[in-house]
Amino acid sequence: MVKVNWVGLWTLIRREVGRFFSVYRQTVLPGLISSGLYIVVFGFTLERRIDEINGVPYTLFILPGLLMMNTLTNATANTSSSMLQMKLLQQLPDILTAPLSAMEISIAYIIGGTVRGTVNGVLVMILGIVLIDMPVHSPISTVCFIVMVSWAFASMGLVLGQLSDSWDQLAMMQNFFLTPLSFLGGVFYSINMLPGWAQTISLFNPIYYMINGIRFTTLGIADTSPLTSVIMALIMTILFTTLAIGLMHSGKKIKQ
Amino acid sequence: MKTPAVEIRGLKKSFGKVQALDGVDLTIKQGEFLGLLGPNGAGKTTTINILTGLVIRQEGITEIFGKDTVKDYRFTRSKVGIAAQELSIDWFFPVERLLLFHAGYYGLPIKQAKNRVDKIIKKLGLEEKRGTRLRQLSGGMKRRYQLAKALVHDPDIIILDEPTAGVDVELRHELWDYLRKLHSNGKTILLTTHYIEEAELLCERVAIINKGKIIKDGSPIELTKQLGQSGLTIHVTGWDDKMKNLLDNFTFTYDEGRLHFSVLDPEKDMATIIKILTKNDCHIQNINVDKASLEDVFLDLTGERIS
Repeated sequence: MVKVNWVGLWTLIRREVGRFFSVYRQTVLPGLISSGLYIVVFGFTLERRIDEINGVPYTLFILPGLLMMNTLTNATANTSSSMLQMKLLQQLPDILTAPLSAMEISIAYIIGGTVRGTVNGVLVMILGIVLIDMPVHSPISTVCFIVMVSWAFASMGLVLGQLSDSWDQLAMMQNFFLTPLSFLGGVFYSINMLPGWAQTISLFNPIYYMINGIRFTTLGIADTSPLTSVIMALIMTILFTTLAIGLMHSGKKIKQ
Repeated sequence: MKTPAVEIRGLKKSFGKVQALDGVDLTIKQGEFLGLLGPNGAGKTTTINILTGLVIRQEGITEIFGKDTVKDYRFTRSKVGIAAQELSIDWFFPVERLLLFHAGYYGLPIKQAKNRVDKIIKKLGLEEKRGTRLRQLSGGMKRRYQLAKALVHDPDIIILDEPTAGVDVELRHELWDYLRKLHSNGKTILLTTHYIEEAELLCERVAIINKGKIIKDGSPIELTKQLGQSGLTIHVTGWDDKMKNLLDNFTFTYDEGRLHFSVLDPEKDMATIIKILTKNDCHIQNINVDKASLEDVFLDLTGERIS
């Protein structure tokens, strides 16, 4: 039977969650403020000039996408920055010399990122409900999907954090890949508004499925089947969790 | 015979083309205070980092209380507390919370962890700094925290990597006293240092490491006796070159009233030399004994100075 250091695992989870809550001004409030600004700007200016999309007013249409963008960027940022910071500030040896397995360390980090992603996503959802009366078609599915996507991107963030040697490298991966993929994943538009070739390219963007998945659980509309979205999220979760644990086990870039 | 606290056999490790460890063999008995002495880059930190799982072992055996440090890492790591040379920095949590986290990683339930942290904070004089963030601590306080972290789970083996590097004399002596206490309480201590005085004063046994190999080990007294030549300097009047024959059992030089002897045991040889000199009307003005140090031993073995 596999032995688990439950106390150690729980302690590391508490540390990871406590870490981002202790700086909530940097980790929780910004996403909420920027989402609020999007709602205000689009709600009061652009909405009058843009037609409804799939029968939904424009501000309402973009809100699930903003929620998802906020969720996945926060989940990724939590694990990647925490891991890199631990490496650069000589804190990682504290964990690597403790009787914790590679799996326990990885899972604790991923849970920390998942909590941050979920908190940020749920707060944007509440903001949407309060400000523009956003309907939530299926609240349980919405929260479950947020948690699943948070887990997938927290795992990805852990991989990025472990492979990065500097803040510059990490920022490059986030700015050149994650942010463009988020914007091109259909936060602000429906894929049907794009020319044929662009629609085909969009199908290779995993974030497209995440945004449409959450749009379905909240508004009940989507450009793709909700089942495809769930399968994509599941594939990403399994792939990046396996990769993160495997990489931690190998000691690459964290052990000499 | 008791299982050794630490057993290292044929340990090899290279970083690219640099052979950091070239077959290290070292056994540390339970309750022993061992100093791993060597210059920077000799392989001290690599050795302890392999023991604690920070560096991946390439070849050889590393065991803690008879268990392999890779296969049985949960057991071996729970037995060891390490105070690393590099001071870690944390931006988020105060000292007490960090120590509680550290105890938790080692599986101590919260109540037990709180008791241990309270005890260790008091012992190491960190009481006033409980609520202070790590980055706000002075260098000396950070060293105390580093030691507190190593001791928080009450390990049987304490590994200290250059624990007094960069601390003032007062704190150094305070830390030395504390280490002596830990040792008298039965803890096994492995100390890496390039401070000769530290190794001589604290360690029961010293292993000298150079270029990735243990080149000699023994108690500081044994090592200096075996390898170090002590110096005995005597200023005299009434010297006659004929006396050279009487002292031909000793290695010595004479220069303008200054006799310098290289002896293995100055306390024993001094009496004989004084007897010969005074018997032959040579008046002694003063005597100086320069005891060999581990520095001399290292010099003798490698032809290089340790620091």
